[in-house]
Amino acid sequence: MTVNDISRRRFIGQTAAGLGVVSLLGCSAHFSHWRFFTEEEAKLVEAITGQIIPADDDPGAIEAGVVFYIDKQLVGPLAAYQADYRRGLPLLQHTCRKMFGKTFLELKWEEQTTVLKALESGNVDQQEWGEQSPQRFFSLLRDHTMQGFYGSPRHGGNRNYISYKMLDLDMPYIIGQNRYRQS
Amino acid sequence: MKKPNQTTMILLAGALTLALLIAFGAFFTWWSLASPRKTCLSCHEMQTNYDNWADSYHRDINCKSCHGGALSNGWHSMLENGRRVVGHFSGNSRPELAMQEEQILRILPRCKGCHEAEYADWQAGGHSVTYADIYLDATHNHTEQPHNDCMRCHGMFFSGNIAEIVTPVNNQGPWRFVDAEKAEQPVIPCLACHHIHRPGQPAQAPDYAEPQMIASTRPARLVNVEFYVRSEKTHFAAADLPALKLWEGARPVQVSDDVRQRVCSQCHAPDAWHQAGTSDDRTPRGVHEGLSCLACHAPHKHETAQSCGNCHPALSNCGLDVKVMDTTFRDPASKNNIHFAKCADCHKDGRTSTRKAG
Amino acid sequence: MANKHVNAVIVGAGAGGGIMAKELSTAGLSVVLFERGKKQDFNDIDHDELWSQRMFTLGCGYGPDNERYRRVVVDSNGSSRVVLPNTWAYSNNAACVGGGTLSYGAMAWRFMPQDFKLRSIYGSVAGSVLEDWPISYDDLEPFYEKAEWEIGVSGDDSRNPYAPPRNKPQPMPPFAYNREGQIMDKAAKSLGYHPFPIPMLRNSVPYNGRPACIRMRTCVGYACPVNAKCGTQNTVIPIALATGLCELRTDSQVSKIILDNRGLAKGVEYFDENDMLQRQTADIVVLSASATETARLLLNSKSALFPNGAGNNNDRVGRTLQGHAYTGAYGLFKEEVYDDVGPGACIAVCDFNHGNPGLIGGGLLANEFIRMPYQFSSIRPQGAAGWGKEHKEFQRSYFKRHIAVHGPVQELPVYESRVEVDPVVKDHWGIPVVRLSGHRHENDIVVAKFLADRAEAWLRQAGAVKTWQSLPGRDVSGSQHQAGTCRMGNDPKTSVTNKFGQMHEIDNLFVADGSLHVSNGGFNPVLTIMALSYWVAAFINKEWQGTKFRS
Repeated sequence: MTVNDISRRRFIGQTAAGLGVVSLLGCSAHFSHWRFFTEEEAKLVEAITGQIIPADDDPGAIEAGVVFYIDKQLVGPLAAYQADYRRGLPLLQHTCRKMFGKTFLELKWEEQTTVLKALESGNVDQQEWGEQSPQRFFSLLRDHTMQGFYGSPRHGGNRNYISYKMLDLDMPYIIGQNRYRQS
Repeated sequence: MKKPNQTTMILLAGALTLALLIAFGAFFTWWSLASPRKTCLSCHEMQTNYDNWADSYHRDINCKSCHGGALSNGWHSMLENGRRVVGHFSGNSRPELAMQEEQILRILPRCKGCHEAEYADWQAGGHSVTYADIYLDATHNHTEQPHNDCMRCHGMFFSGNIAEIVTPVNNQGPWRFVDAEKAEQPVIPCLACHHIHRPGQPAQAPDYAEPQMIASTRPARLVNVEFYVRSEKTHFAAADLPALKLWEGARPVQVSDDVRQRVCSQCHAPDAWHQAGTSDDRTPRGVHEGLSCLACHAPHKHETAQSCGNCHPALSNCGLDVKVMDTTFRDPASKNNIHFAKCADCHKDGRTSTRKAG
Repeated sequence: MANKHVNAVIVGAGAGGGIMAKELSTAGLSVVLFERGKKQDFNDIDHDELWSQRMFTLGCGYGPDNERYRRVVVDSNGSSRVVLPNTWAYSNNAACVGGGTLSYGAMAWRFMPQDFKLRSIYGSVAGSVLEDWPISYDDLEPFYEKAEWEIGVSGDDSRNPYAPPRNKPQPMPPFAYNREGQIMDKAAKSLGYHPFPIPMLRNSVPYNGRPACIRMRTCVGYACPVNAKCGTQNTVIPIALATGLCELRTDSQVSKIILDNRGLAKGVEYFDENDMLQRQTADIVVLSASATETARLLLNSKSALFPNGAGNNNDRVGRTLQGHAYTGAYGLFKEEVYDDVGPGACIAVCDFNHGNPGLIGGGLLANEFIRMPYQFSSIRPQGAAGWGKEHKEFQRSYFKRHIAVHGPVQELPVYESRVEVDPVVKDHWGIPVVRLSGHRHENDIVVAKFLADRAEAWLRQAGAVKTWQSLPGRDVSGSQHQAGTCRMGNDPKTSVTNKFGQMHEIDNLFVADGSLHVSNGGFNPVLTIMALSYWVAAFINKEWQGTKFRS
């Protein structure tokens, strides 16, 4: 191989990188706020998190942005649960229709609670759910919501540490450095 | 196969280089002049930052004037962007966008461009301390070796750990910087307490057509301090920071409800028990209990000159002559320390002092 | 390029390995200290609960990572499953320089003299292979002292009437109680318990050139922002490196001990940071990789003389895996008991470690480290709502109005509880992974219930309006207090090493970690692991002077 060969290869590589930049210009059209969820899935998951930690005098999971936590972690450390969400969410909708003839978002608050309790207890149409465990799916939703609400905002949820405010827990810490008597 | 003539090759190569240079020049010129919608936003990762900026009180300031152009941020920035492009196409999840400390520091002159007086005040005050002032302070380092927590308040934008700033990490010394350039850099730059993309309206020039109305039509000044929380890599608005709860023994100390003070408390903080006067706590107690830090300390410069007179003017009924009083605020042992002087410290038995001022 | 031959290879830069490196290198031996993880510090996860070693919800902030590591766990019904490091079933210990000591809670317990003589005190117990240690508390006492002074301990044993005898006090004064500690102190005394401040491997005053603790909320599971927590990474390892004789080789996964046909260890094979297989020869090999990984390494090192793994011709390597059956109770209070003074755990009693009528063993009881908000979201009495308005209400009402009292039950060693290597599953480098199987002894559950009752009584005495217990199950033990897989003993048929941690069957192969524990005490084990490492190192250095191992 000669020196020319090497530089030609490098040149081709750089051209390819340049083309990459150009094609990047084109991909902004597909921009979505969501990393994993579709727009509809995100709305559904957001509503579920609102049931798991509802707003009262203090903000709940929706206000804390918990759905952003779940969406972000599902393409990160929680990627192993992608399939659970992709399979579980339609099954949950199916259970809603079976029980109330509507989708989750169309249900009244109490009806939504009833559906989630049915999942939690496994009291659903087993034929439709088949291999999928509604209890397991519910406990995922529950755990991920708690993580998003009570974990650090850097992971997407707990906006402005609002759950810490609810617990009256300083964050960031108010804690000074050691001071020693300096002679 | 017939080999191409060498002269032809050279000519061809020259023409190609020239064409590339012209193309690049044209592209660069366009890139430098076009709107951020066309340039910065061509990476959709920029969308959130762009939206924040477009909503902010600095929305009239072009991206480039603070962040520099495509080339002005140097190799580091280009490499970083290159990595993002590669990451994008290799399917990696969207990385968070964050500026490096060197990029943050490069913004400071731009701040100065408009906020010249504030910048001068900051430079004259204690908060323009440099890495050298903090990390090479032998008195401090001999009593307490440098550690990562120092960066919570000093060098919050530095991305490494303490061993990457100063060496050796012990209390013996002698200490020196890993990177000598750090010495003169400020550890509390403007962005420590100000979030440039904070939502708000751009400043409006007063309407001089009706000078008598200027004061009444000017929008109220907002609380415009935030605190950059190193661990979360983001700014917290003052109102989102925890309010200090402080005790003097078992007695709760009344702390001013001025939300701006929450920024002060982040660094001028008491110990974990939140006992007044411990660690770096200077929250007023005694006769000044309940006052905000900002009642006496000027913003940016943080000096208190003349501030006593705001409440204790020479012509007043209280009879205090603050000009001649012993306000040894620096000495924690002094009974006259204005951060915690109590009535009883001077007025034993509840009596007025007989000492004549002057 | 081939690595230069050294006097000693140490596998694992945690509690045991860090001390070993310092002791051998300051005695003049050339050492390579292997660590599979990296050098890490506070900055890596700071106060992030979801990456802490306490919760590891999103992953283990101080290692090992989910991408390259896995294990197999055999459930009580015989079915096996693959588990990742960020699950409790994996029995994770941190993988970084300092090992668990970078991010631990740092309780600094000495075992009691009785803990070395369980068989003599309690006799033979069905279902357990209970043995006395081949060494006594008195043998280990000077080495406990060395660990306390070299690594750094705050405490005052004179306030604990059950404390074992000692020659020298702990080097730093004990920590002051937080509000919870003050409440529990009064309650304990009125019950006739004997409370005292927990000894901690954490600076209560400046010590060893490092500052005092600033009492942050996040401590156990996190590295210290001011370097006040004492681990091997900020004490002995720097001393070892300063000798110029010790090389710390991070990002290096040791896969195998090289054995010759005379039955001696010649060094180790390992995968370097680029996943390339390398060799490092040495006169001596010391394993300090944790009870699970030390056993795995031995079992994966087969030769003609050792077809079942190095030193395993009696099928004892990996057996009697122990941990601690954690037991205790929670109490809810009317008033706020939380004052945000970390790390929370500060007061303990040793009234129930031994001498419990009709029971074998026992354990300490202490108030628990601060439960962070996500962890607390799973702490509920039976029947309480797991989600919804009521759950949120509980969280808000009781985060600052609850106290937990927990303690480690001294587990009875069970022959069937063991570490094997899985015949099928391999890790990132193709090395067969750890396979965990077995169960806890039924006595552990009885003792757990006894201690939980005491914990509950303590909380009620302190004014708790509602209490409930949290009891362990019988699943295979291990976890962060893992121990016992290479027990020391005088009989080569029933133990793996002699009383100096030297393999019965391989003279120049040593173990210096929790694997050596014959039984695991009713205490957090780290100070004992440290003392044992000093003990083993003293033997190696003595033998080395006699030129025994020089090749």
